[in-house]
Amino acid sequence: MNELLHIEDLHASIEGKEILQGINLTIREGEIHAIMGPNGAGKSTLGAVLAGHPSYEVTQGKVVFRGKDLLSMPAEQRAREGLFLSFQYPVEIPGVSMVNFMRAALNDKRAYEGKEPIAATDFLKLMREKKQLVEMADKLNNRSVNEGFSGGEKKKNEIFQMAMLEPRLSILDEIDSGLDIDALRIVANGVNALHKEDNACLLITHYQRLLDYIVPDYIHVLANGKIVYSGGKELAKELEEKGYEWLNI
Amino acid sequence: MVEHIINSEEKRDFLFLNPQSQDLLFRQEKGSALRLFFIDYSNIEGENRFRVNVEQKGEDCRTEIYVLSFLRGRYRQHFTSRIVHAVGNGYSRQIIRYVLTDEAKGDFAGDVVLSPNAQHIDAQQSNRNLLLSNTATIRTRPCLEIYADDVKASHGSSTGQLDESALFYMQQRGLSFSEARDMLVLSFMSECIEPIADVAQREDLMHTLYSILQNA
Ligand SMILES: Nc1ncnc2c1ncn2[C@@H]1O[C@H](COP(=O)(O)OP(=O)(O)O)[C@@H](O)[C@H]1O
Ligand SMILES: [Mg+2]
Repeated sequence: MNELLHIEDLHASIEGKEILQGINLTIREGEIHAIMGPNGAGKSTLGAVLAGHPSYEVTQGKVVFRGKDLLSMPAEQRAREGLFLSFQYPVEIPGVSMVNFMRAALNDKRAYEGKEPIAATDFLKLMREKKQLVEMADKLNNRSVNEGFSGGEKKKNEIFQMAMLEPRLSILDEIDSGLDIDALRIVANGVNALHKEDNACLLITHYQRLLDYIVPDYIHVLANGKIVYSGGKELAKELEEKGYEWLNI
Repeated sequence: MVEHIINSEEKRDFLFLNPQSQDLLFRQEKGSALRLFFIDYSNIEGENRFRVNVEQKGEDCRTEIYVLSFLRGRYRQHFTSRIVHAVGNGYSRQIIRYVLTDEAKGDFAGDVVLSPNAQHIDAQQSNRNLLLSNTATIRTRPCLEIYADDVKASHGSSTGQLDESALFYMQQRGLSFSEARDMLVLSFMSECIEPIADVAQREDLMHTLYSILQNA
């Protein structure tokens, strides 16, 4: 299978403090990877750095995404190339409606791909169809982005946006945190339904629970800014039973 | 000074679009409702001073003041509002929004007076200011003078820059920086536009503000 993402010796810091200390990771089309690890390990930092968050400085290493140098692209270009980050804490944007936001995002991506803007009726049809995936039926169109959404609604809204934009690589940061079992099932079903042969997923979590619903091909343990251990899906159970201590981190 | 009387039970809207310096007094009789819109975006130099005085002389009056100042270039604007609740059962709302860029300067003073006879008043003033450049400045002096005890009165003022986490979130979904910025700024401004009754005028204004913003 084709390589989607290739990370080599990635170092990154924030406010002069080095958080990522040499990450190596390759993700191919069709794969689901999970990154687990204790709080503060640098999991969210990895997602933010890949998405191009301006607060982080990459001090070493390279990242190739779909054959291109990811780190030289501004955040919006990474998104238009098909990189999606579901935020651990989705941002509330009062006054900006979901409809306007999604229409702009979708049309920017289409323009980048050399396509015409989507027709108004097709767009509304698409919104309706994708909302059903996360069971958010009528609740979305006229609301401001994430404003007043419950924790579960925010996470569903992330998956809804992922469905609208059809990214090639989705980095889902703690998509399971704060969800009750029903919401977790909806979110996981959404992610599974969107999984295709030509896209890939990087799940970030510190609960094994999510991996009962979305089964990864590979699990990596991130600690102190490095991937210290990698294995198959069976690693989740082992981590659940034994914690992280046996890895000597 | 120009004086307007709002008669008993009368409902009046006034819209001042890019006005020159003004000194205005509105006297409200019993049960009247007054809505004032001040929208100031076209200047890029010079100076304007606006004074708006409202007196609620009769009971059961409603006053709403919306001020949208989009200050650019080297323009300087001074705005003073003063609402006097002389008697009881009054209601007032002030939504004051500034967006400043380039080297523009804004100066806002807002005074709400609740006289000793003004019981059961509901008065709110909200002032928010958005700085889009490091060289623009805003000075604000909101003030509440309360001489009555059975009232609900509040004011709030804040000045800041665009929310960086919102900008990054929008860029992560593929919006360019300027697209994201324009959406955030327009939604900020729309609080003063949305209450305008005439739909066509509202849409016109939003279009105009959008095109100015894109070239700002
Ligand atoms: N804005 C920041 N300034 C300084 N340190 C930060 C900042 N954000 C995160 N960190 C630090 O980076 C480390 C990794 O954080 P994070 O990537 O959020 O971990 P995880 O997602 O694995 O829990 C932590 O030690 C945290 O304190
Ligand atoms: Mg995290």
